[in-house]
Amino acid sequence: MSGTEIRLDQIQRWMHTVITHPGGVHGGIASSAARQQIDVSAEEIENVIDRSAALNSIERLGIYGNAYYARLIECLAVEFPALRAAVGEDAFSGFVFGFLQHHPPASYTLSDLGRWFPIYLASSRPARQDDAPDWADFLVDLATLERTDSEVFDGPGEEHLPLLQAEELSAVPPENWSDIQFQTAASLRLLEFRFPVQDFAACVRRGAESTIPAAARTFLAVSRRDYIVRHRTLSRLPFQLLCFLQQGRTLGAAIEEAVVDTGAEEQRLVGQLGEWFRAWTRDGYFVSFRLNC
Amino acid sequence: MREPRLGHRHLGFGVGLRSAHYAHILREKPRVDWFEIISENYIDSQGRPRAVLDQIAEQYPIVMHGVSLSIGSTDPLNREYLQKLKKLAAAVRAEWVSDHLCWTGVAGRNTHDLLPVPLTESVLKHVVDRIRIVQDVLERPLVLENPSSYVTFACSEMSEWEFLSRMAEDADCGLLLDVNNVYVSCFNHDCDPVEYIENVPHQRIVQCHLAGHTNCGSHLIDTHDGHVINPVWALYRRTHDLTGGMSTLIEWDAHIPAFPVVHAEVLKARQYIGDVVPSAERAAIADLTNEESVSSDDIRRQTASAIFHPPVLVAAEVE
Repeated sequence: MSGTEIRLDQIQRWMHTVITHPGGVHGGIASSAARQQIDVSAEEIENVIDRSAALNSIERLGIYGNAYYARLIECLAVEFPALRAAVGEDAFSGFVFGFLQHHPPASYTLSDLGRWFPIYLASSRPARQDDAPDWADFLVDLATLERTDSEVFDGPGEEHLPLLQAEELSAVPPENWSDIQFQTAASLRLLEFRFPVQDFAACVRRGAESTIPAAARTFLAVSRRDYIVRHRTLSRLPFQLLCFLQQGRTLGAAIEEAVVDTGAEEQRLVGQLGEWFRAWTRDGYFVSFRLNC
Repeated sequence: MREPRLGHRHLGFGVGLRSAHYAHILREKPRVDWFEIISENYIDSQGRPRAVLDQIAEQYPIVMHGVSLSIGSTDPLNREYLQKLKKLAAAVRAEWVSDHLCWTGVAGRNTHDLLPVPLTESVLKHVVDRIRIVQDVLERPLVLENPSSYVTFACSEMSEWEFLSRMAEDADCGLLLDVNNVYVSCFNHDCDPVEYIENVPHQRIVQCHLAGHTNCGSHLIDTHDGHVINPVWALYRRTHDLTGGMSTLIEWDAHIPAFPVVHAEVLKARQYIGDVVPSAERAAIADLTNEESVSSDDIRRQTASAIFHPPVLVAAEVE
């Protein structure tokens, strides 16, 4: 190490590298990234970091190194409790540790930390044995649900707006129904899963015994009402219909496309519309509608 | 002669607002003097955290306390973040806005930790320049807290209390003196906490923090997970005598007990500053704190996994 004054940015880049290094503080100090900033070996570390009466310089840096991973693992455990319950604490910590190497935190808010976690799990999953949904798919679906819950919980909502009531729809003459175009709630998310992960997550939230469910194609509406996140399981037909409505199709066009997509009979769909819309308006899926004549 | 507390009013004895207590506070409307929020939990919130804050701000004074300003970093200040702070401060009529003398990241990365700066002349100038920019954006004096720290730098040229004193004077900002942090850092760095307390500029201390910490034997960790220990209360009493009184707040961020326990902890402060505490209230405080007292065995168990402040995240509420 030279005797020249070390700039603040060098110290900060060096310390950041050292305390976040996956190989621990020793690995960090020896890394080329750290030595590019401050060329100091473990033996010379007291030229940068003082020792205390009780701890040497490396032990003191280690307090920050241990806390970096422990803190971020704890934060993601708060956001992904069901995923942690599914894989166990050690495996969960391992997932987060790997994730942080690919997506080190860059935002000022911890709320952004988990944004890429489900995508990381999907991209780092083991190779498939066949086309059937497997354990890794379950974990990716579960992480996707828990991240969605977080985003819906603290994202935009309509609590300050009057929501569309079923009676307002009933007032539209039947001949105009196909022209109805809805504005869906900002909080509404429509998710398709390979496993009924919402049931597993609900068991974990209640503290009930949770078993890994069998694979089953699952369609879920996630929304927020009165600041609480709500889940509604749908069958494929109403799910597709809601997807098309959310994309801005008129009700008539959405029905046509949902029928084509699912192979359902249009008459069956039309017969259930009233029941579906009563439930959907009760859950606050729509803010307003207009007639797109 | 500068006014005490930079002219800010003495708010009394407050509690750090945590989501675990939302329901209790809204339902019971406890007689708390004021609340301090973690700014980052609210500046982007469009959900329940912000809705709850708006209700609480209608009834209690609010102070904003941040963990991401990164005033000591060499990265550019985040102007978008500053504008969000300013907007929230206006919306909740924040009494003041505080953060820490620290850096949280560099090169676009954030450790979500409060990392210490080398205490040098050049770093002092760097920090003062940035405080001035922040104060210009916020259009109010910034209040900065002494963080707990676990390392010191060989290149440091002055004590932390000297750095804070000169920083506050040069930047004309306020100080949030965390008495527990003084105790933790001085233990970790083999310094005298009383000398620290006696030498910071008392007129600039706007607010005080109290918290519990974990004793790991060789060092202390600022875990915010328990009661305030007696030596920290003694430092608090000394600080009160030197400042003439300051707004006082308890932080409790892990193993968070029921709200009355947290509130009782900060009300203990009145016993240390010579306030006459009604005997019934004193007995109630004693009951609450005894009930939640943590044994040395508990502390030893926690030591292995102790994480220091600040892990702050509001968990989603799902029906």
